[in-house]
Amino acid sequence: MRTRRRKERDEIGRLGIERSRLDIRDLFREASVSVLSNPGRSLVTVVGTILGAAAFVASLGLGSTLNQQVSTAFDLRRATEVLVEPEDQATTDGWLQDAAIGRLTRLNGVVAAGRRVSLGERPMRRMIDLRQSSTGVPVIGADPSALQVMAPRLTVGRSFGEFHERHATPVVMLSTTVARQLGIHRTGVAVFVADQAHTVVGIFHDVERRPEAMAAAIVPYSAAERLDQSGASQPAKRDVLVETSPGAAQLIGRQAPLALRPEAPAELRAVAPPDPRTLRQEIEGSTTRTTLLISGVALLMGTISIGNAATSGVAQRTGEIGLRRAVGARRRHIFGQLVLETTVLGGLGGAVGALLGVLTISIVSVVNGWTPAVEIRSALFACTASTIAGLLAGLVPAARAARIPPVQALQR
Amino acid sequence: MLVLRDVSRTYQDGQPVHALRATNLRVEQGDYISITGPSGSGKSTLLNLVGLLDVPTAGSYLIGGMETADCGPATLGAIRGQLFGFVFQAFHLLPGRTAVENVELGMLYGPHTRRQRRSMATEALERMGLSHRMHADPRQLSGGEKQRVAIARAVAARPRVLFCDEPTGNLDTTNTAAVLAVLRQLNQDGLTLIVVTHDSQVASEARRRLRVTDGVVDET
Ligand SMILES: Nc1ncnc2c1ncn2[C@@H]1O[C@H](COP(=O)(O)OP(=O)(O)OP(=O)(O)O)[C@@H](O)[C@H]1O
Ligand SMILES: [Mg+2]
Repeated sequence: MRTRRRKERDEIGRLGIERSRLDIRDLFREASVSVLSNPGRSLVTVVGTILGAAAFVASLGLGSTLNQQVSTAFDLRRATEVLVEPEDQATTDGWLQDAAIGRLTRLNGVVAAGRRVSLGERPMRRMIDLRQSSTGVPVIGADPSALQVMAPRLTVGRSFGEFHERHATPVVMLSTTVARQLGIHRTGVAVFVADQAHTVVGIFHDVERRPEAMAAAIVPYSAAERLDQSGASQPAKRDVLVETSPGAAQLIGRQAPLALRPEAPAELRAVAPPDPRTLRQEIEGSTTRTTLLISGVALLMGTISIGNAATSGVAQRTGEIGLRRAVGARRRHIFGQLVLETTVLGGLGGAVGALLGVLTISIVSVVNGWTPAVEIRSALFACTASTIAGLLAGLVPAARAARIPPVQALQR
Repeated sequence: MLVLRDVSRTYQDGQPVHALRATNLRVEQGDYISITGPSGSGKSTLLNLVGLLDVPTAGSYLIGGMETADCGPATLGAIRGQLFGFVFQAFHLLPGRTAVENVELGMLYGPHTRRQRRSMATEALERMGLSHRMHADPRQLSGGEKQRVAIARAVAARPRVLFCDEPTGNLDTTNTAAVLAVLRQLNQDGLTLIVVTHDSQVASEARRRLRVTDGVVDET
C-alpha cells in the first residue's frame, strides 16, 4: 500500500501533474448543491424519513402530554381520598364515636375525616305545594368534616356547620339536579324529607369528591339519624370519609382501620385510590415500549426509503458519475460524495419531520385544551437517528456507484 | 507522446467481441486526428482506450514513455483530469447548475483553488463566445451552446489532449460549423485533438485521418 502510493506519486510527478483531490469544503459544497439542485429527487428520497421522524416525535410528545394530563387529574382529585366502611353494616359500635374519629384525624397526612350515612331514596316534596307528589331522592347524612371532604361547590346559599350538627337542625343542601326536580331555585324554602320539614340552606352544582352526592340531598349526620329511626325500607349505610394530603392516601388507607377500631381493625375496610405515582409509572412504561417500537419502525422505514431512492438516484446519475470519473475523480471521491448526500438528506428529513411532529403535538393540544409537552430530546434524537439512517442507507448505493466504469456511464 | 503498440480490446460477455484488433498508433503533440468508420467498427473503443477511460486487453500503451498498464488508479485519474479533456455527443452537463458551475466541475478534482477555478472557467467560456450565457441553466441553452459549454469544461484546465466522441452528432449545420471553428482554434493554439465522427466535413478538418473497419485501424 505504502509502496504503491509512493510509486504513484513518482509517476504523477514525472508527468508534471498532481494527484486528484477533493478538499472537505468542496466535498460539502458538491453534496449540498446536488441535494438542492434536484429538489424533486431529494424530496422523494427523504419523504419516508420525514414521516418516520414526525411520527416518532408526535407519538412521544402526545404520550407525555396525555401522561401529564392524567397525572394532573389524579393528583388533584382522587389521590387525596379514602373511604372506610365496615365489612358488615351491623357493626355500628365504637368506630363512629367522636373518640375514634379524633384518633383518625390526628394521623399525619389526614386533612379531614367525618361520618357519613347513606339512607337510600326517600320521598321528598316542596312543603307549600300540597298537590305535588313526592319524588324519591337519595339522602345523605354528613357531619361537617365529611361535608368538607365532599366539598360541594355552591351555586346559592351556604353549607351547614357544627351548630346544625350539634342540634340535629332539620336543614338540607340540594344538588342542582334535585333542586330542579323539586322546582326549587333559592334557599329558605321548606321541603319534606320523608315527611319531616327541612329548610333548604344551599344548592350545589358540583362536588370535589364522592360524585354520588351529585344526585342527592345532604342533611346533617345527626338529623339523618332521626330520619333513619323514622322507619325506612332500605337499611342505612355508614362510612367514614377521609381527605388526605397529596400522596398520603395509600398510607392512610392502611392506618385508618386501626385508628378507628383498634380492638378489631379487620372488621373495617379502607378504600384508597391507586397511587398516582404507580399509575404514572405504568403509563410511562407502556408509552416507552410503544415509543421504542415506533422509533424502531420509523428508523427502518427511513433507512429503507433513503436506500431505495439513493439506488434509483445512482441509476439516474450514471452519466454524471462517469463524467466526474473522466475529469479525474477517484472512486473514493464518488463514494464520499454520495454517502454525504444521503447523510445530509437524512439529517434534513429528520429536522423537517421533527418540526412537523412538534406542530402536530401543538395543534392536537390546542384543540383539546391540553398543555403540550414537547420533549426537545426526542426532536434531537429524531434528527440524529435520521442522519445515521441516511449514512447507513447511502453506503451500498455509493459503493455501487463508485464501481461504475466511466466508459459505460458516458456512452449514452 | 502517446504510443500504442499492438493494443487490442476484446469484450468478454458471452460471445467474445474483438472491438479493436492489434493496433499501432503514435500521437504527437499538436496533432489533429479524425477517426471514422461504420457504426460498431470500434471507433469509440479506440478513443476510450487512448483517453484512459478503458484499458486494453492486450498490448502496451505508453504516455510520455511511461507504461500505463503499470500505473496505479490515482495516476490514471490524475492524467484524465489534468492532461486530457473529454467531449461527448451527449454533452453531460448537470441540470440545476449554471454554465460556469458546469465548467468549474471539470477542474474540481484538480490542483486549482476555488477562486482559480472560477476565473479559468470564466475565461474558457469567453473563448467559446459564451460570456453572455455564463449563468444560464444548461436546460435553457441551444444544442450548439451546450456543446460549447462542454468544450469549455474540457479545455478550461488547459489539457494537452482533447478527446471528442461525435461532438457534432446532435447538432445542425450552423452549430456544427461553430463547434468546428472552436476546435480549429484550439488546435492552432497547440492542443492535440482526437475526434471520432461520421461526418465527412468534420473529418476533413483533421490533418491525420484514421479509418476503423471491424476493429482494424488504417491511416489514410
Ligand atoms: N461494453 C461492451 N460490451 C460488449 N460489447 C461492446 C461493448 N462496447 C462496445 N461493444 C461492441 O464493440 C464493438 C465496437 O463498439 P464501438 O462502440 O467502439 O463502435 P463505434 O465505432 O463507436 O460505433 P458507433 O459509430 O455506433 O458509435 C461493437 O460491436 C459493439 O457492439
Ligand atoms: Mg461510438
